[in-house]
Amino acid sequence: MGYKTDWFKGIFPALVTPFTPDDDVDEKAFRRLLQFVLPHVDGVVPCGTTGEFSYMGLEERKKVIAICLDEVKDEVPVLAGTGCTTTRDTVALTAWAKEAGVSGALVVAPYFLKPSFNEVYDHFGALDQIGLPIVMYNIPQCAGTHFKWWTAEGGLLDFENTIGIKDSSGDLPFMGALFEKVKGKVSIFVGHDEVVQAALGAGADGAILASANLIPDIWQRVYRATQEGDLATAQEWQQRVQRLVRIVVRCGANQACKEGLRMMGVDVGDSRHPIVPGGAFRREDREELRLQLESLGKIDRAPVTYDLGTKQVLTDVFATPHTPRTIDGWTMKVGEGFAGPPFQELAHVDLLIGLKEGPVGRAIDRSLAGWGEERNLRVIKEQPRTLLVPTVTIRTAMQRRLMEEAAAGVGLAIDLSIEDGFLPEAILDDIALIVNAFVHPAASIARRVAFNNYKATRHAIRKALEGRPRVEELIAEKASARHPFRYAP
Amino acid sequence: MSTKVSWLKGVFPALVTPFRGGTEDPASLIDEKAYRRLIRHALPNVDGIVTSGTTGEFPYLTREEQRRLVEIGIEEAGGKPVVAGCGASSTKEALALARDAQDSGASAALIVTPYFLHPSDKGVYQHFYDIATAVDLPIILYNIPQVMDRYLPRTVVEDLADVPNVVGLKDSSGNLTYTMELLEYVGDRIDLMVGHDEVVLPALAGGVSGMILASAQVYPEVWQTIIRLVEAGKVEEARATQRRVQKLSRIFCRHGGGVAVKAALKMMDLDMGPPRKPLKNVGGALLHETRAEIRLELEKLGKAPITATAFEYPVGPLSERFGDLEITPELIEEHRLSVGSGEAGESLNKVGVDLIAGGKETPLGDAYALQMTYPLHRREALTTILEPALTVRPATLLLPTLPQKNLRQANMVYGPAQSGLARAIVDAVEAERIPAETINDSVMVALVTIHPSALDRNKIAKSVQAAAAKAIEQAFC
Repeated sequence: MGYKTDWFKGIFPALVTPFTPDDDVDEKAFRRLLQFVLPHVDGVVPCGTTGEFSYMGLEERKKVIAICLDEVKDEVPVLAGTGCTTTRDTVALTAWAKEAGVSGALVVAPYFLKPSFNEVYDHFGALDQIGLPIVMYNIPQCAGTHFKWWTAEGGLLDFENTIGIKDSSGDLPFMGALFEKVKGKVSIFVGHDEVVQAALGAGADGAILASANLIPDIWQRVYRATQEGDLATAQEWQQRVQRLVRIVVRCGANQACKEGLRMMGVDVGDSRHPIVPGGAFRREDREELRLQLESLGKIDRAPVTYDLGTKQVLTDVFATPHTPRTIDGWTMKVGEGFAGPPFQELAHVDLLIGLKEGPVGRAIDRSLAGWGEERNLRVIKEQPRTLLVPTVTIRTAMQRRLMEEAAAGVGLAIDLSIEDGFLPEAILDDIALIVNAFVHPAASIARRVAFNNYKATRHAIRKALEGRPRVEELIAEKASARHPFRYAP
Repeated sequence: MSTKVSWLKGVFPALVTPFRGGTEDPASLIDEKAYRRLIRHALPNVDGIVTSGTTGEFPYLTREEQRRLVEIGIEEAGGKPVVAGCGASSTKEALALARDAQDSGASAALIVTPYFLHPSDKGVYQHFYDIATAVDLPIILYNIPQVMDRYLPRTVVEDLADVPNVVGLKDSSGNLTYTMELLEYVGDRIDLMVGHDEVVLPALAGGVSGMILASAQVYPEVWQTIIRLVEAGKVEEARATQRRVQKLSRIFCRHGGGVAVKAALKMMDLDMGPPRKPLKNVGGALLHETRAEIRLELEKLGKAPITATAFEYPVGPLSERFGDLEITPELIEEHRLSVGSGEAGESLNKVGVDLIAGGKETPLGDAYALQMTYPLHRREALTTILEPALTVRPATLLLPTLPQKNLRQANMVYGPAQSGLARAIVDAVEAERIPAETINDSVMVALVTIHPSALDRNKIAKSVQAAAAKAIEQAFC
């Protein structure tokens, strides 16, 4: 019969594994990450899914676990990911981890080939012989197999050393069955960031989370509030981080957490291939993640000088390592933003920002005098002077109505960019914007048109000002870039 | 033991249901006249017809309407078999439809796996058994997991094949492992009809008796040819024939279903009206872009008239080709703008790229900004991107030299030309052919000429990349 330990509860981050540009484990960055999270957590998990365990060899995994143990120094328990696809490797790594001094091992369901439930059960039976506390790990999104409740119940209650289960499925009916069968006897951990509060509120003992790399303090608040019976506070914080964690969870978590940490000043490199920047964690996700981290106070402001030639303006913005500290070249800046889904309501914004006295201001004046009415061009703002250009000819009343929604979204993006400092008040009379907004002729969901155009414009403004994408990114992604309309249906 | 019927083989179109407007709803009534026209159009090249199938929007039809479709079918079919679609979620309703079909004189009832609620295998068996034993009409089972969310289990089919009047099964899954399993277990007892247009040839080669297809009202003669070729053992020719209609078949199966078939028929001068709501004519399951693709494929098959376009690639001195940008040879000289030109590709895939580059402070900067306000109708400029949110640098506009008359032509520019141009630019930046110090301060405009009848996206992308590379080389070296 498994047992419940007193240490396996609370908030455990599933740590990312930092890699150097040469693709080695980055020990220094890993130690820094640990120092960053340790004040807020009840334990740590090296070599979990977010830690890209499946992209590391056994020796590398040992190295990561060893660094983790050394840095943590018994401050909190270390629950090491030791799951492999074969029983042989899993037993070997778990036995090594026991000797190394971990508190327990998190063991994923054997993956790729899909063993039957009794083969999975026997896998955990073999691990039980080692004598190290074992946490079963259900993550059907990646492993391809979803524990049945009877597998989980058997593994948890039949074996002496199983102390709990981590369920990352987000499948609350499954978790309900776990509460019914094993609650109180072993620990039940939630591993899906989008349902943390729901699971804790229903009785889960803790959470192992990818997003706890980024916001361990907030998860600690959710956990503590729940323990104290203050469900309202727990719910409020879950709602505040919901969009952030949806972005993290839905795109594989590892690259998202790494880019988020970089924005917060903790550089942990990129994920290993085949995970690539701008891949599952899309460019628009990166912009949204940044905005979410800003709103939670996780990205610092920094002073930036806008050098307009005729005058210099000092502003301060939420800065990432890629935010230039001086921004010049105001003749004309080009930015682009893209936001969806859904397909029919996606927004694609081409943006120009430049001096009123330059090409942008002159083009606005000339177009309004010439073909403004015929093409439905419209100045939607005077500060900064902003021309909205529909890129699809408006033929129907529906299109006209949805262009209003798009205009509202564009306007909101500019207002919020003024508020957050990217478009400081002091330059609003000097600059002009041309915003080309694409609204698909088949679009119908008004709210999505407005919101996607808000997002695309807000992203485009920042990208234009910060000079993104950078040339290095373009070169790196030249071969793998996939234009959605490049291929036949 | 069931017996096969002799007629269940060959080509059967799953007919669309034409609608016309009543008081307010444009699809409130069945357009009987259009239905007759459709049947007459298809009849010479088919072995029978199927009314109110999935393509015929059966879940949106009333019992009376379905009965009427069968009656018209029999009147028009000239003695060829008429299979009545009798699909319903409940056994009671499906049975009522089958009784109607029998009364009207249909040749068989096509009955789909019960859907929405998920009955057990026992319930599914009982559904078909109850209907088959209550009517005196051949029954064709119908597997279409794409819309029903479940397969008709092989073991259930095995048992149903023993019911005397179960004579066939239509398999629209396109899953050949399923088809082969059925042929193995019930092929001797009932006839299998393939219902997935993309796998007709492999299914015929595997041993099915014929086909019930959406596309068999658009190009039935192609399917008849394939049957003849397979029977004659001419595999290579059969493959080539299937390949000719592969893309259009894929569109019908996966990118719009009956709505796409109606769009195709309309282009062939057979207006079947709109679909019933919530389906949309276009802009829902059938995208505008896909509709443009349908026309192109019909043109290739000779089913829709080709609109020939007279055009020529730009000629004359390169420095005089940027008039649309109000850039004259004198301005090029005065502001030291760089120009270059390149061509690549053969026949329809031949493209031309004329490129101009210069500082943002020059008249080219003004031209760039002005183009973003769309002065050239149907020749709207696009920011060059590798993919959405990956804008190339130096910032470059792609300006088509020919008007985009339809979405398909526009599509050749948006995707293929845009990504080909983007790759050539990033290549040049990486190789430092475009000087690094100019990247922030300059802009480029590429005038791109693509044949209005171009149709191969892959070749166009490669041609544009090659032509742009030449143009950049000339402009910067």
